[in-house]
Amino acid sequence: MSTSTDAHHAHGHADDGGVHVHVSSVPFYIAVFLGLLVLTGMTVGQSYVDLGKLNIVIVVLIATMKASLVVTFFMHLRWDNKFNALIFISTIFFIGIFFAYTLHDTDRRGELDPDQNVKVWQKNGERAPGGMEE
Amino acid sequence: MSTDVVTPEPAAGGAHGAGHGVGHHGPKWLAHHFETPTQQFDAAKLGMWAFLAQELLFFSGLFVAYGVYRNWYPEMFKAAAHQLNKEMGATNTVVLLFSSLTIALAVRSAQVGNRKLTGRLILTTIACACMFLVIKFFEYKHKFEGGLLPGRFFHPHAEHLVHGAPALPENTGTFFGIYFMMTGVHGVHVLIGIGVLVWIWIRNNRGDFSKEYFTPVDIVALYWHLVDLVWIYLFPLLYLI
Amino acid sequence: MAAITTTPGHHDEVDPNVSYLKSTRGIMSWLTTLDHKRIGVMYLISVSVAFALGGVFALLVRLELFSRGRTIMDADTYNRMFSLHGVVMVFLFIIPSIPAAMGNIILPIQLGAKDVAFPRLNLLSLYVYIFGACFGIYSMINGGVDTGWTFYTPYSSSDPAHGGVGSPSAVIPMTLAAFIMGFSSILTGVNFIATIHKMRAPGLTWRRLTLFTWSLYATSIIQVLATPVLAITLLLLTMERFLGLGIFDPRLGGDPVLFQHFFWFYSHPAVYIMIVPGMGIVSELIATFSRREPVGYMAIAMSSLGLALLGFLVWGHHLFVAGMSEYATMVFSALTFLVAIPSGVKIFNWVATLYKGSISLQSPMLWALSFLFLFTIGGLTGLFLGMLAVDVHLHDTYFVVAHFHYVMVGGTVMGFFGGLHYWWPKFTGKMYEEGLAKVGWFFVFIGFNVTFLTQFVLGSRGMPRRYYDYLPKFEQLHQISTVGSWVLGVGFIIILINLARSLIGGKPAPRNPWGSAALEWMTPSPPPLYNFVKDPVLTRGQYDYQLATDDELYEGYDDPLFPNAKMIAAKRAAEGAGE
Repeated sequence: MSTSTDAHHAHGHADDGGVHVHVSSVPFYIAVFLGLLVLTGMTVGQSYVDLGKLNIVIVVLIATMKASLVVTFFMHLRWDNKFNALIFISTIFFIGIFFAYTLHDTDRRGELDPDQNVKVWQKNGERAPGGMEE
Repeated sequence: MSTDVVTPEPAAGGAHGAGHGVGHHGPKWLAHHFETPTQQFDAAKLGMWAFLAQELLFFSGLFVAYGVYRNWYPEMFKAAAHQLNKEMGATNTVVLLFSSLTIALAVRSAQVGNRKLTGRLILTTIACACMFLVIKFFEYKHKFEGGLLPGRFFHPHAEHLVHGAPALPENTGTFFGIYFMMTGVHGVHVLIGIGVLVWIWIRNNRGDFSKEYFTPVDIVALYWHLVDLVWIYLFPLLYLI
Repeated sequence: MAAITTTPGHHDEVDPNVSYLKSTRGIMSWLTTLDHKRIGVMYLISVSVAFALGGVFALLVRLELFSRGRTIMDADTYNRMFSLHGVVMVFLFIIPSIPAAMGNIILPIQLGAKDVAFPRLNLLSLYVYIFGACFGIYSMINGGVDTGWTFYTPYSSSDPAHGGVGSPSAVIPMTLAAFIMGFSSILTGVNFIATIHKMRAPGLTWRRLTLFTWSLYATSIIQVLATPVLAITLLLLTMERFLGLGIFDPRLGGDPVLFQHFFWFYSHPAVYIMIVPGMGIVSELIATFSRREPVGYMAIAMSSLGLALLGFLVWGHHLFVAGMSEYATMVFSALTFLVAIPSGVKIFNWVATLYKGSISLQSPMLWALSFLFLFTIGGLTGLFLGMLAVDVHLHDTYFVVAHFHYVMVGGTVMGFFGGLHYWWPKFTGKMYEEGLAKVGWFFVFIGFNVTFLTQFVLGSRGMPRRYYDYLPKFEQLHQISTVGSWVLGVGFIIILINLARSLIGGKPAPRNPWGSAALEWMTPSPPPLYNFVKDPVLTRGQYDYQLATDDELYEGYDDPLFPNAKMIAAKRAAEGAGE
């Protein structure tokens, strides 16, 4: 797949005044692109079949596979300095934290205190005090 | 007691001579504060990945908003998604994926020193980006005609809606608020991408790049791939489910 | 010598022995400079102006609160005053203060580098900051904002001009200002990460970095990861206000608490952007003025990174009573206790460094010592607020106001002024008057405590924050607090006068006035354009007082007016007697 003689180390010596990096071949890039097309076809095809709650899971899974192809091969992380991959992974981790904790809240409003955020007492259906008049 | 401590000495090895002000620093694209081309290239890549990290977090806020509201109003989201044109969205996806291919090939051709091919591939990428925006324009036009607008401007006109689609609940303005923010912010990034792609096309045309120095092409390509990455998630989440 | 521009690749023509202040002349050479030191100085001037402006707003707020009812302004103006105080102090002063001003000047020198990794990006970040600040000034000219610096929805997002019921004030220009200035912060962070990774001098391993460098590294990570979330939050707020997007306004189906999640996801890590560089400076000061390597060097370095990581997990403690789910409140409260640990690690290590250190109480050290004391109070009271059951009573009272002023002023501002005094000789080449510096510090220390210690009492007795009027029982404490603010103001004016006078008639500073072993003191004061006359190579750590030679530590100490002179003279006399 690779044509460069320096494929085994990402950065060679710079004494000749240049930078040595891994160079992928044209067929390789095209193969990655075809893979992305196939996955796109799969996800569009799946959208015609309603799997309820699974829809979003499958769609995110396929999107993640596509994203991994782009990040690993088109963006060169596979052959790049490991620290750059660390930056990317930790970013995903922090985004995950943002998602998880926010949805943990919004998903579970009123679970412990059923009267929280409601305008109507659940016990007897009467209007709860406070809040803005409509 | 040691004698040899923080002794200011000439830099060991490298292209730099004894101290400053003496001798030739290196090729003209090597900035004065870098010792070697590898250092400059590595620093540029590292800096760009740090910048991409912040771009990802910038978009993440929109995805969290999407997640929260989808969780609260799943039926409304499903109904609203029917009003989006899957075919145009899929076409845009393929266009962006293809543009990712062409810019990756452009970096490769810069790496091997093929100036003409690099220029052509960059132009192709720019053309794809423009095509993306044109398709987007038609999509937006359809939304405006149908009154499918964000928040307080949401007034659906039944005659312009997709036939046979589920009815749109009252709070669908929230979906379209999120839709326009996500695709709008993404679209602004595409526009900026066109700008920087034009800039490196000009620089390539000038002969700034070579086998030894292709860093700006690499950096701009990384930005463009990010634009593609965001759309890879945007498309299914907004159009397909 | 003919004027030469500071462009990359042309350094061959520049005389390395001329200081960076004199290497090129004229205002354009400053406005188009790529020299990190000049950029840092311009940042310093900008944040100092911002500090003065924010301070004026603070004095006006305190003046209004001196007596009950109307003192000098009406309630609506009062709302704008405290909001602008917050916005100016947070976005225009404290976030850029230490990293962009002092970090820019000192970091490359402490790394033995010629400049930061991306000098043009550095200059751009300065211009982005100024451009954003212009939007802020435009907002202020149009009446400012009355939403508080936190812009809570739906008050900020519901525009009466578009049929909403919220604030009529100039919210959009102010949110755009903060949005734009956020990118200045991000660019600085990107620059510093690349610089610390790639621009270290030979021999400068990660374990030989100064603790200030480590703190800037941790801060830069937070800046890069957290600030974009503020950017998108403010963009969403702007669009909500302008277009009625329907994300934060319950009347349009939105959730106001979601705004608070988004806002604090940035703003809590932001407080670590504020404090961690201050802690970095305190490490430098304690090391130098105890003349020893900080105890637990790696622990302090890692605790900075620990704060960066843990700081992202606790934002919900600002939302305890906002209407979050109870499960979430419990989780965030527990995590908030964890985030106190790295700060504690630092305090214990600093105190251990003082123990049996060779302490000299020069003015920078006074700031460091006050940091220890005041930050401890601030940090501990933060724990009180992190306790869910206690926060229910203390939330939105003056207790919170006192807590964050203890950490931001008693912490960061003490660190900022400590660093300013410490590095002043290095980047200006002048010595200020030591006596007057100590007087200034004293006024600040006393004034600060009088102002804010009373506010802990006010808060625990029930005085709510951001209130224009209050019950009679609070009046005396408010008056004490206001008088304290005047003493505080006098202190800052004394410092300003002292530093300004040093620029006009101050004694030339020696290379190493404090006898420090760190790398920035091994180059002339002020440094030449590319920081070092010859590229440095390190063969010892930067706190290694055993391996550092006398020449490195005590060059230029013959003048008895300079600090440490007596010690050096005694040492030389002892050596002379021994021969």
